[in-house]
Amino acid sequence: MERTQRSPFTATVTALSLLFLFVPIAVVVLFSFHSTGGLSFPFRGFSLRWYEEVFSSPEFREASVNSLIVATATAVVTLLLGTLAAYGLSHSRSRLRAPLALLFFLPLTLPGLFIGLSLLVLFTEVQIDASLATVTIAHLVYVFPYFLLVSLAALNRLDVALEEAGADLGANSWLVFRKVTLPQVWPVLVGASSLAFALSFDEFIITFFVIGADSTLPMFIWSTLRRTVNPSINAISSLLLLVTLLLFVISFVLTFRRGRKRRGVIGGEELMEQALAGDAIGGRT
Amino acid sequence: MASVAEESQRPRAARRRGGGSIIPALPAAAGLVAFFLVPLLVFAVYSVLTAGLYSVSGPLTLDAYGEAIASRVNRTLAANSAVIGLATAAVTVAVALPIAYWLRRSARRLRIPVVFLIIASMFASYLVRIYAWRTVLGSNGLINDGLRRLGLIDEPLEFLIYSRFAVTVALVHIFLPYVVLVIYAAMAPLGAGLFEAARDLGASSRTLWRRLILPLMAAPAASAFLFVFILSASDYVTPQFLGGASGVTLGVQVQVNFRTLGNYPVAAATSFLMMAAFLMCYLLSALVLRALRLHDIRFVN
Amino acid sequence: MRPEPLPRVRLEEVTHRFGDVTALDGVSLDVREGEFVTLLGPSGCGKTTLLRIVAGFERPTEGRVILGGEDVTRTPAHRRPVNMVFQRPTLFPHLDVFENVAFGLRIAGVSTEEVRARVGDALRLIRLEGYEGRRNYELSGGQMQRVALARAMVNRPKVLLLDEPLSALDLKIRLEMEAELRRVHRETGATFVYVTHDQREALALSDRIVVFNEGRVEQVGEPDRVYRNPASPFVARFVGDSNVIAVEVTPGDTVRIAGRAMPAASDGIAEGAAWLVLRPDVVRLSAPGSGTGLRGVVRDVSFRGTGHTYRVEVGGLPDPIKAEMHEGGTFELEDEVELGWDPAASPLLPRTPDEP
Repeated sequence: MERTQRSPFTATVTALSLLFLFVPIAVVVLFSFHSTGGLSFPFRGFSLRWYEEVFSSPEFREASVNSLIVATATAVVTLLLGTLAAYGLSHSRSRLRAPLALLFFLPLTLPGLFIGLSLLVLFTEVQIDASLATVTIAHLVYVFPYFLLVSLAALNRLDVALEEAGADLGANSWLVFRKVTLPQVWPVLVGASSLAFALSFDEFIITFFVIGADSTLPMFIWSTLRRTVNPSINAISSLLLLVTLLLFVISFVLTFRRGRKRRGVIGGEELMEQALAGDAIGGRT
Repeated sequence: MASVAEESQRPRAARRRGGGSIIPALPAAAGLVAFFLVPLLVFAVYSVLTAGLYSVSGPLTLDAYGEAIASRVNRTLAANSAVIGLATAAVTVAVALPIAYWLRRSARRLRIPVVFLIIASMFASYLVRIYAWRTVLGSNGLINDGLRRLGLIDEPLEFLIYSRFAVTVALVHIFLPYVVLVIYAAMAPLGAGLFEAARDLGASSRTLWRRLILPLMAAPAASAFLFVFILSASDYVTPQFLGGASGVTLGVQVQVNFRTLGNYPVAAATSFLMMAAFLMCYLLSALVLRALRLHDIRFVN
Repeated sequence: MRPEPLPRVRLEEVTHRFGDVTALDGVSLDVREGEFVTLLGPSGCGKTTLLRIVAGFERPTEGRVILGGEDVTRTPAHRRPVNMVFQRPTLFPHLDVFENVAFGLRIAGVSTEEVRARVGDALRLIRLEGYEGRRNYELSGGQMQRVALARAMVNRPKVLLLDEPLSALDLKIRLEMEAELRRVHRETGATFVYVTHDQREALALSDRIVVFNEGRVEQVGEPDRVYRNPASPFVARFVGDSNVIAVEVTPGDTVRIAGRAMPAASDGIAEGAAWLVLRPDVVRLSAPGSGTGLRGVVRDVSFRGTGHTYRVEVGGLPDPIKAEMHEGGTFELEDEVELGWDPAASPLLPRTPDEP
């Protein structure tokens, strides 16, 4: 029984912060339904006209499809390479572990500006034309550490004894992975790739540099922002919010599923805490 | 008085699995080398080449660095970036601490829903937030409009938009959820027992913060602070939409140099100077933590 | 006649409820100055709750807490003149041993020289001089708990509260620490209120024991008394690990037990239903032959270094009888034996006829 402490000050700060975080977003969503073109109160009635306008725009449709393509590609490749990397890092005592972990998590510390610029420079030098492929590559670099953070925390948390039992019963590494490790860890992996999808879908800062003629949804929003300011932007934003929120919910449910606390199954809270506190990086040396 | 029995009570290290190969991690590593390290290397080389229009050529020269450092504009922008970065980092960390404390020590059944909400707020798109703040802070926006209706002001408040203030507010909005989660996670090992022990020894709430929570949170807070500082100081999109003339940052300048002016070496040089500055901040932080003996805190039992 | 000195700790009708669960029910208790009092009982009996109420971490639903004559029921924990040693050491991870011990002194604004002197004395008291610079991860469990003890004692509290401080330690260390605690108590003359579920520990350490069961006090007394003259079947079973047998008291200092008549010390007990308290170390086993004792069969033997513990099944009794013997021959599984005991060392307790 955790003993609690009443603290009106911190409760107030929390409440105000939640308001701070959600009110601007709520306002955006609200005005996406505005019957007029105004963006301030009073609110003059609901209408779906802006959504109609957005959906009928071919540029919007094209940008959305492009975002979907890139995000899916990013999520799939991240899932594959990331699971392998997480497995390698958590199951090996090689001296390469620390430098590799450093390499994997370094992009987290570097602002998107530099990642984007340097990639653009590389593509120019090697004469690779800007396309959805270059965007995907950029997204992979950006998203990979996030995936690794979550999946490594989960793999590190697994009970070694279960895997040893599997091996003791005659299974080789691949079988142990397939029959012992994977069944426990797959929700987290899927959740993490859902996270990767969401991050890629939303990405703007790096995409800005490496994109060519094709547009992604965030790029479309940006160019619209520069041209006009009317509730159609609110509509697009709300749609984007909806998609990412949906993905986040899926990711959250899968990653932090408490489920039946079988021995070896990761508990939701500790997993998140480990991931965020960087336990994933250090492991337990 | 250390007896034989005492010696055997050393904390046991957790068992690490081994015997597996590191090879599965290599494909990802190769990818990152090719698309992260190599580009940075090439970019670094650009910074010492001669500038052409949208091109670079030999010979090697340090002109770009000289130009970047000498520029007075750059100095103003660097100051702007630093101010925005520090303000954003300071506000997010200062607000995250009470929130994390509340979640850990007061929240009870509200804890999981509130954590969920905070994580949810992280996924509002970057651009959506910038747009949201433009409508909230604008001269006809939510705040000005509201204040005018209430009769509190006649003219819209100028400082709200197209200023460093606006940029900071938007950046805080972007980074706050992340910092809250990091500090919240870092507070996990601080069990009720620790707080009770401190209270038993006479600590009031203020003393609790000063002598227990803040020292224990110093390292994670510093880490979060640096993360936010670096990312917000180098942001180039928010200043363009919310910064106006006074809120331009170095990141914007780099982007301008590269795309608009076509001066690759200067853009690269400025970037690396920024990175060097950030690295120094990391080092400084590590030194300070070490000096305060707050760098190697380990929770036992 | 000299008036009774003020009790160091007085609890008046303390009742504490968590929702519908009553953890403590009308507990009243006095702790004398300089005493070592142990609150003893099984898990969940309320002893830790009571300790935390004295410390100030819980406010009792009803009742009062009075320390040295002053009502502190409403006073928050950090302002009470008591200090606590917790079950787990919880040393502050960002401070070394010296600063951990000095923590309370620094809050109180004690001068640097005095801090150094008092911390030095405290470390000497727990025999960890030279460990000032160590951090928590450089200490063993027993050492950490000793530092926790010093951290509490250095503030010279009127009352030291100890919440099962030895339960997380290995047996060997526990025994050493018990000796340390007795020594520290003697040398400082402070009042100790100790909580444990280990009756052996309670018997070894205390001046007086308070036995708790389900939120109520079953018996208060010196260890010897509680051990030899338990006030209830619960105390008999819990403290002495005694055999508590349902018997019938019959005229002429006898009882009917398992269908036989055996001698008993029945003064003060009415005829009829009663409990017989047989301590395992009072029960004597012998080879069958004399016919004066109960007949039984040995069903379990365990060797304890100092002697053997037997469980003997006796016809007509629901549970086996535990017997501890240090000399007088050994017995083996399935041996037929005769059990006897000294009636003077085996008290009788009242029983209502349908008590289980």
